Amino acid sequence: MSQKPDDFEALADNPFYVLGLRPDCSRIDIEREGQKLLGMLGLKLKSAATYMSPLGPRPRTEDKVRAAMAALRDHEKRLAHEFWASLPPPAAPPKPPPIPETKGPGPAPFAGAFAALGWRRS
Amino acid sequence: MTSAPLYVGIDLGTTNSTAAVFDGEKVTLVRNAQGSPITPSVVRIDARGNVTVGARARRFLDTDADNTRSEFKRLMGTAQGIRFQGAGVERRPEELAAEVLRSLRADVRDQIGVLPARAVISVPALFELPQTSATSEAARLAGFERVELLQEPIASALAAGWTVEDQGGAWLVYDLGGGTFDVSLLETRDGLLRVVGHDGDNFLGGRDFDWAIVDWAIAQAARDGVVIRRGDPAHAGAVRKIKLAAEEAKIELSRVESASITVPGLDVAGAGYDLDVTLDRETLERLCAPAIDRSIAVCRRLLQAHGVADGGLTRVVLVGGPSVMPVVRRLVSQQLAVPPAEGLDPMTLVAQGAAIFAATAGLEARPSAIEAVRGAKVWLQYPAMSSDLTPHVVGRLVERTGPVNSVPTEVQLGRADGLWDSPWTPLDEEGAFVLPVSLVPRKPNVFRLTGKNIQGNAVTIDPPTLTIVQGLTISDPPLSRTIGVALASNDVRVYFERGAPLPARRTFTLHTVDSVARGAEKAVIKIPIVQGEYEQAHLCRLVGALEIGGKELKQTLASGAEVELTIELDRGGRMSARALIPAIGQVFEHVAHLLVPEADPEVLASTVTATRARLGELRTDAFRRQARDSIERLGKVESALDDVGRDIDAARGGDTDAAQKARRTLIEVDAQIEAVELDRRWPELDREAREALIWTTGWVQDYGQPHEQTLYQETAKAVDKARQGRDPLELQRQLRLLRRLGSSAYGRHPEAWKHRFEDAAADVGNATDVARAQALVKEGREALAKGDNEALRRVTQKLWQLLPSAAEDRRKGHESGVR
Ligand SMILES: Nc1ncnc2c1ncn2[C@@H]1O[C@H](COP(=O)(O)OP(=O)(O)OP(=O)(O)O)[C@@H](O)[C@H]1O
Ligand SMILES: [Mg+2]
Repeated sequence: MSQKPDDFEALADNPFYVLGLRPDCSRIDIEREGQKLLGMLGLKLKSAATYMSPLGPRPRTEDKVRAAMAALRDHEKRLAHEFWASLPPPAAPPKPPPIPETKGPGPAPFAGAFAALGWRRS
Repeated sequence: MTSAPLYVGIDLGTTNSTAAVFDGEKVTLVRNAQGSPITPSVVRIDARGNVTVGARARRFLDTDADNTRSEFKRLMGTAQGIRFQGAGVERRPEELAAEVLRSLRADVRDQIGVLPARAVISVPALFELPQTSATSEAARLAGFERVELLQEPIASALAAGWTVEDQGGAWLVYDLGGGTFDVSLLETRDGLLRVVGHDGDNFLGGRDFDWAIVDWAIAQAARDGVVIRRGDPAHAGAVRKIKLAAEEAKIELSRVESASITVPGLDVAGAGYDLDVTLDRETLERLCAPAIDRSIAVCRRLLQAHGVADGGLTRVVLVGGPSVMPVVRRLVSQQLAVPPAEGLDPMTLVAQGAAIFAATAGLEARPSAIEAVRGAKVWLQYPAMSSDLTPHVVGRLVERTGPVNSVPTEVQLGRADGLWDSPWTPLDEEGAFVLPVSLVPRKPNVFRLTGKNIQGNAVTIDPPTLTIVQGLTISDPPLSRTIGVALASNDVRVYFERGAPLPARRTFTLHTVDSVARGAEKAVIKIPIVQGEYEQAHLCRLVGALEIGGKELKQTLASGAEVELTIELDRGGRMSARALIPAIGQVFEHVAHLLVPEADPEVLASTVTATRARLGELRTDAFRRQARDSIERLGKVESALDDVGRDIDAARGGDTDAAQKARRTLIEVDAQIEAVELDRRWPELDREAREALIWTTGWVQDYGQPHEQTLYQETAKAVDKARQGRDPLELQRQLRLLRRLGSSAYGRHPEAWKHRFEDAAADVGNATDVARAQALVKEGREALAKGDNEALRRVTQKLWQLLPSAAEDRRKGHESGVR
């Protein structure tokens, strides 16, 4: 009937963070860095196993690196990612977000909510 | 001492096959026993069971058709057996392909002196999963220890890119073969080759030219009062002979201005007739023009789909036998306003590219020599071919213990020409190093790897050398259609989105719907794997299924048990799947019926009937909606179905190629219907998007984190854009994102889990395991009373897994046993 809400990862998976590159890097930088990281991951080196994102450290996998290289080779996709990566990755993970308990219950979720979130019930 | 590297590439064509070798610097074609680089893909098995391949077999195609077979590549991946009357044997298509590969492999041995163990084999860009696996199987049967498959257009582009100086920009690879046409749009920049997209027509090729000539010749005969009919079984023998003569004349006319078609003693329904006509090049060109125009229309469609304007191409690479014809070269380059790349051989370019690709994949053809290197073993990672002049070599010691003197603490890489050395570099705490190296352009670069121990004495390293060819880098090929798992809810769990780079691997945790008793003979958990762009599984095409049978289970599996399903796709698009059930620690890897394309005429006929019924519904609906685009598409579907009907008739008469053609057309029909269906669903999708926007805005504002709020704004914009542009696929994608953002925010609402729990609890009577579900509801109520949100979340999620999906959804979801 339903899907559990996915953790939101799109921002942390920004190709520039995955490759550890700045948005102004050259095309050859992408190839060189990607190839190096794939090599390091292939040998399971700890030094390549994580990368920093604005949401904190994230595991780096070969698939993520390949997808990042593919995304940045595509000019249009690269432009979109540049926008998102224009903030420098923070040196330390950010604090967990405040739990909105203090805000009171707010608008009560009701039946329509499930449909709007794409849950289908039969 | 290291000799030059050896890389082998094979073009396994429908009509002709070719092998080439590459040593890192130049490509050499492999000649067969007849001295030709081109081996016809023809296999003959005589009455005594002797097998002949190539030109020697081709000679019998006409006179001994029952024992001589060609064009089996078109049947790859089907279960169709191919009979050899005389010997009374039947062979699968991949077994015949294996004969051709075996013969080419022997040719390599005769010319180079090495029987290759590894090679790259090219396959058409539009090959489906079963066809690629059949090709791998053929290679295995031919004795190859390992092969990689490469799409033909990439091979052509790679060969062209290697030979022609890099100009950058967009190019077209136009590959017109015997019976198929493929066109690909590629881009090169800074030595990086990228496939932008492809298109094609599976039933357009040199054969169409041959038939046009046959029709012309028949018309000439009619002037003599002789009536020959193509469809008449009584004329079949005569028509076959004319066709062979027509093909010969066509090939001759690529060199000369006129050629004769002479077929003496034709048997036309009992009477004899000598056909003798002269065909000049001008007439040939007129006869072929319609088919060439069709191919150019396909090119235009591709260019348009990727926004390439007229004159936006830097060059076109012409590939395939018919591309030798001057008229093809002229019309293509004129109409697309692009110069053809000169100096490339259309007949062998694919094989050349495959050989070069073997280098980029590091697929050395020599069987691994057991060199007795005694030294510190190191694992290495480096690009076997690189466009970058300073790529990295990464290494790691296999063993870090041992006598102190034999363990290196520092390493150095030196280029064999002695003109470049890396600095001595200490190994890090993992025993690893990462070193940039310097390459000489367009050459194989050999590097020596040496080590020093803690006392500064030399230590031998194994391997002592490595080779990197400087050339092109080829980017990972993109996946042509989205792949996912059908769930019991008829939803699709997307594993790989269209355009994702290959190879790729992903794992998701799914849950079983039913419990399966250990040893239960009939019970299976079916995990259907589907391909397509829809969110609903029944609209996607089933391409395989992984089945977990009760018989194989070591332990009974509860409903809601976790299944960690991994799907893996290799570069050539080959798929494998693997299911791990952590609760019982068992792994299942058998992918059942990798949907062998069904080309049985009766099955095809029933598909046509079903499709016609659907067509009727869609058409009524399209007229009601006044959807002009859809009406037009459905008109095309209708005429395609008529074609299919004719092909099925031919298939019933034993024409296996017609059966395959019908199957292919049905796949294309499916895609057309897919587009109409999406269009029909548009108002609903649009409404869903509007509602989702209304609901999620508030939540994201109140409970979203700052980055989610920013992303939300962008997504909302993209949703608007997709709605304006009426782009259903894009809207689906953005809607998914919107809902994910909404769900995350909603999940932070203090009462979110309470509401989810109540919603699920209301359905408990329908649970697959009511007793367990009731216990969970009780547990949930307790958590609620205590205000333990975390426990409530756990309970609710468990409860979800016990709730039934409607039987209807499940049936539609290809009988999926997971959610
Ligand atoms: N010199 C030539 N001039 C014109 N046509 C030719 C010439 N040589 C071969 N052909 C035609 O080319 C066709 C075969 O092309 P090719 O060998 O490229 O196909 P293939 O690679 O086997 O097929 P596919 O790529 O579809 O698997 C035949 O129709 C043949 O008549
Ligand atoms: Mg070909």
